[in-house]
Amino acid sequence: MRGSALIALVTLVAAAFGLPGVGAATAPHPSLPGLPDPKVMTGQPGRYGGVFLDSQQSDPSTFNPILANSTSSTGPLANVFDGLVEANGKTTDIEPGLAESWTVSKDGRTWTFTLRQGLQWADGAPVTADDVLFTFQVVYDKRIPNSAADVLKVAGQPIEVTKVNARTVQFHTAEPFGPFLREIGNASLIPQHVLRKAYDAGQFNQTWGVNTPPSQIVGTGPYKITEYRPAQRIVYDRNPHYWKVDMRGQRLPYIDHIVLTIVPNQNALRLLFQGGQADSYGVRPAEYAEFARGARAGNYTVYDGGPSFGSEFLTFNQNTASGMPGYKLRWFQAQKFRQAVSYAIDRQAIINQVYAGHAVPEYGPESPADKFFFDPHTMQYPYNLQKAAAVLAEAGFKKGTDGVLRDADGHAVQFVITTNADNPDRVAIGNIIRQDLTALGMQVTFAPEAFNTLVAKLTDSFKWEALVLGLTGGIEPADGQNVWKSSGSLHMWYPRQAKPATPWEAEIDRYFDLAATTVDQNRRRDYYNQWQEIVAEQVPLIYTAIPHAYVAVRNKFGNIEFTAFGGPFWNFPVIYIK
Amino acid sequence: MIRYIARRLILLGPLLLGITFVSWAAIQLAPGSSDYFQSLVLQYPQISPQRIAALRAEFGMDQPPLVQYLHWLWSIVHLNFGYSFAYNVPVAWLIGSRALNTLLLSVTSLVVAWALALPLGIYSAVHQYSALDGALSAAAFVAISVPSFFSALLLLYAAFWTHLLPLQGLTSVDFDFLPWWDKILDVARHLVLPTIALGVFSVGGLMRYMRTNLLDVLRSDYLQTARAKGLPERAVIFRHGVRNAINPLVTLFGFELGGLLSGAAFVENVLGYPGLGRLVLEAVLKRDVFVVMGSLLMGSVLLILGNLTADIMLAYVDPRIRYD
Amino acid sequence: MSQDAAAAPRVSASPERAGRSRTPLQLAWRRLRRYRLAVVGGVTLVCLYAAMVLAPFLAPYALDYSDRSLFYAPPVGVHLIDARGRLHLRPFVYAYRVVDASLPAYAPDTSRTYDIRFFVHGAPYRLLWLVPSDIHLLGVDSPARLFLLGTDQFGRDLLSRLLYGSAVSLLIGILVVLITFPIGMILGGIAGYYGGIIDNVIMRSVEVLAAFPSFYLLLTLASVLPPTLSSGARLFMISAVFSFVGWGGLARVLRGIVLGIRDVEFVLAARAAGLPDLRVIVRHVLPTTASYVIVAATLTIPGVILGESGLSFLGLGVQEPSTSWGLLLAQAQSIEALTQFPWLLIPGLLIVIAVLAFNFLGDGVRDALDPRQRVA
Repeated sequence: MRGSALIALVTLVAAAFGLPGVGAATAPHPSLPGLPDPKVMTGQPGRYGGVFLDSQQSDPSTFNPILANSTSSTGPLANVFDGLVEANGKTTDIEPGLAESWTVSKDGRTWTFTLRQGLQWADGAPVTADDVLFTFQVVYDKRIPNSAADVLKVAGQPIEVTKVNARTVQFHTAEPFGPFLREIGNASLIPQHVLRKAYDAGQFNQTWGVNTPPSQIVGTGPYKITEYRPAQRIVYDRNPHYWKVDMRGQRLPYIDHIVLTIVPNQNALRLLFQGGQADSYGVRPAEYAEFARGARAGNYTVYDGGPSFGSEFLTFNQNTASGMPGYKLRWFQAQKFRQAVSYAIDRQAIINQVYAGHAVPEYGPESPADKFFFDPHTMQYPYNLQKAAAVLAEAGFKKGTDGVLRDADGHAVQFVITTNADNPDRVAIGNIIRQDLTALGMQVTFAPEAFNTLVAKLTDSFKWEALVLGLTGGIEPADGQNVWKSSGSLHMWYPRQAKPATPWEAEIDRYFDLAATTVDQNRRRDYYNQWQEIVAEQVPLIYTAIPHAYVAVRNKFGNIEFTAFGGPFWNFPVIYIK
Repeated sequence: MIRYIARRLILLGPLLLGITFVSWAAIQLAPGSSDYFQSLVLQYPQISPQRIAALRAEFGMDQPPLVQYLHWLWSIVHLNFGYSFAYNVPVAWLIGSRALNTLLLSVTSLVVAWALALPLGIYSAVHQYSALDGALSAAAFVAISVPSFFSALLLLYAAFWTHLLPLQGLTSVDFDFLPWWDKILDVARHLVLPTIALGVFSVGGLMRYMRTNLLDVLRSDYLQTARAKGLPERAVIFRHGVRNAINPLVTLFGFELGGLLSGAAFVENVLGYPGLGRLVLEAVLKRDVFVVMGSLLMGSVLLILGNLTADIMLAYVDPRIRYD
Repeated sequence: MSQDAAAAPRVSASPERAGRSRTPLQLAWRRLRRYRLAVVGGVTLVCLYAAMVLAPFLAPYALDYSDRSLFYAPPVGVHLIDARGRLHLRPFVYAYRVVDASLPAYAPDTSRTYDIRFFVHGAPYRLLWLVPSDIHLLGVDSPARLFLLGTDQFGRDLLSRLLYGSAVSLLIGILVVLITFPIGMILGGIAGYYGGIIDNVIMRSVEVLAAFPSFYLLLTLASVLPPTLSSGARLFMISAVFSFVGWGGLARVLRGIVLGIRDVEFVLAARAAGLPDLRVIVRHVLPTTASYVIVAATLTIPGVILGESGLSFLGLGVQEPSTSWGLLLAQAQSIEALTQFPWLLIPGLLIVIAVLAFNFLGDGVRDALDPRQRVA
């Protein structure tokens, strides 16, 4: 892990200073008529043709990449749109995408990108700097509620975008911006020649909805949508103008069609895969043993991606506006109380019962899946009831002869844990935690409730005591600033603070700001290590366990290079059907 | 008759007004529950409160509830069902893209259920207390006692193990490339499972009704007279008995339609059928208010029209009934 | 959902044989046969409700008891002959041995037998919220476990949870009838008795309700229930939701019946005697509808039981840690349950049995109360 982190670091730094062409190591450099410098993807030479059978739960809510913000929409669009740069699924490095190269000025505030020559939209129109300008004009338009705008703000200011020439654009940030490359890559380029009219008419929010004829949806990605049947399927054809080639200089992608079947539930996804009507399936930890046994008969391989990014945690309400009695607030604000709870949670039971043994205990906010930013030296809380009781005693809590835990003033420790009832894993974890805390003498009620109710409490009324929740994480800690900065609206235990309520929250704020305005990835990692150590010591979120991610893939593809970060299909254009 | 239909159609207006108001009130009742926009923050942690407020304002959801309702009502009068929060497309399009499928499934199950239930019910009544009558009655009782989601689940697994029928959807992947007769065949194959899951419940009930009614009729005085006149038993049963026994069942038709719409929600969710039920369930859980309202309105109109059709049919088949 | 669907009187012989004479034995046999299913249904229900009342005593474990090392454990085998071929007088079980915790797979540990004991001391409870006790009908010594129907994901005893969960499933139907019927009867009675504007207003509101696809309305109402309710209050609220959706049909039918009898002599006589209207309705008009009401009540309950199981299946009904049969069945909706842990389907079986029993009973009661069909 250390080794790979080091390599990742070197390449990240290299990328940051604008050394292009990481993937294009082989000479001579292939080219296509009209596209002199395509991106070359490594892999065995493959065959053209065939169909990839994909599947997902629930319908996309839009085909507009700027407005899409849930995975059910971003997933189906990933094959249709591209960003200026992209992350390599194997190394996690940022590589050239639509932009063939970039440079950054000495002060780290001006980035210059050069687009590949001869790029075309799927309808044949050329991709120019004007498309880039249009994309960011849309992103920063106040009338267009989109998620990219929130991420792409530096010190509250939009990034300035200017055109240098037809193939070159310049980005200027108010301050140096650490996660710049990764975030800029997440913004999908949209075609000005198709969308400008609707935008000028103030109709952008209604364009490219799911009721749009698919032929009007034009991107630069390897595929284009040809058919959408609501609640049934999306069909894709290969884009004949795609800008990547294989090592022999043949234009990608290899596979002709993708059929994405839309199903209503997890069960159906699994049946579809087992019935041969889907080529891959995200195996849940509890299903792993069964799938591993059936791999030969079902002609598939189960890949172990190691720890995933998402995890579930318990958190206590520390909000003064929560309407809780003062003594309760004081328990939850006490570091010792939270630490004791962390010691009392039997993470192994959670791992066994919820994840069938395929998970690792987690104590800090960053998943070990993030090889670069994960800090392995944070404080840990292995299951230990004596220790938990001792820590509680230090904070003045005492267990009476009746078995009830009381604080120094004699208040019995009584509270309600809640979670959203539609998530069986969280309900299971909550049940286990409730039993564990009962063993300490706490009187805990566990009351799962509807998702909408939970959200209202979390963001609006703040009337909750403790809750079990999960967030999906990513590789870039800056994406979590809404959770970790004390002013964040998802700073669950005490959101939207005017100024940090505690010294440690102030410290976290400081490290987040520092890391955001630092371009040197090495120093950013130091800042984020500090943050992880503070969180592990203060345990505002008490983490439980982080499950492994498994994917079952039918044995019919060539060039699969599975990685935990990119999954089995990160290099989809070069994947072919054997 | 025409006057009767006209009066019923005029009454439709106030009825729909009542329905929409109750639905709106029901949605607003939710104490301490978030709206669609608030829950975006968990789906997408980076989103700022300003964005959420902007989105809410865009849909007019920053107004007081009663104003929202009146706005909605006003646009309904103009046949505008509003925009879905989650999809940002007109609700009419969303419903339209699925309503036909649900209607197809409902009609198919209705036809299949009646086609099965009537002969079986007649057989049971004519051969009362025979072994087959006993078996059929028992089967009918079991059919009405199994929750529809449970039978749908069991059917799904049966289809999975036998590999005989498609598990999901309404059309195959290569549907668009099929000749027209294969298209029909393809849809028919996809309809088998949902039709069974949805129809089985109705078959049980309808069969019991048919059996009871026919037994009543067969015992009646006028049939005794017909027998006394020397009509053959076959003619007695089919020419007089069955015709009279079916009449009361016609009233059930409207009721059945409503039941099927409800049952379809479960079946569609378990069997992945692209119908209205899936859309509504999702919309209710996400609080996509205009979609919920639009679908409720649609469902109600269907139900009322079904009832009306049943009444009219009844007037035709039963000469004793006269409206006005 | 199915209250009206079970119309099935067990009537007399088919007409072509009606004229023939029968021996007394044949007649008795036919009468018995006519009500046999109703009796079976009735006895089944008495057993179910008795088990519900005695749940804490009959359940080997408490509602919340869990053995974390034994999640998804299959039903324990009850034996009389041990591994060495010796016959025991008392039935006994073996302790579970964990073979593979990640599947999970268990095997009996045959090295030692554990006798099943009767009237053992266990978790304390209050029978009917009154009688404190800690005696359980059955039990075994630790480390063996008496998981007669296996365990769920948390290692909780399915049998115990079925017994505790029966309270929700079996009471909700009765609660709904208790709420719906007075409302439906009074409103239906008033509408039929007075006619005119009152009738119109009541019947139009009934039509509004009837015009809803009832399941969607149920779904909407259930999803707005305040979540902080205690399990008892939640049960009551869910019943109220069902009642809100369900009272219309009853009111409509009763109105029709009342309309038909309001001008019959005894009603006219009561009115002439100067009795207040409400008294006439409650004392003289409504009692004539009793037979219909009783039948309708018996056939409403199974519909509500099915409805509750559907709501719980979708996660909108009763919530953990309290439980109902529908909620227990919701655990079995994945394929693993069917293939690996089939005992999780038992709640579904119980729902079917209870609904079937109510339908049988209702069917029999309908026969017994319908004067037209009293043919010897």
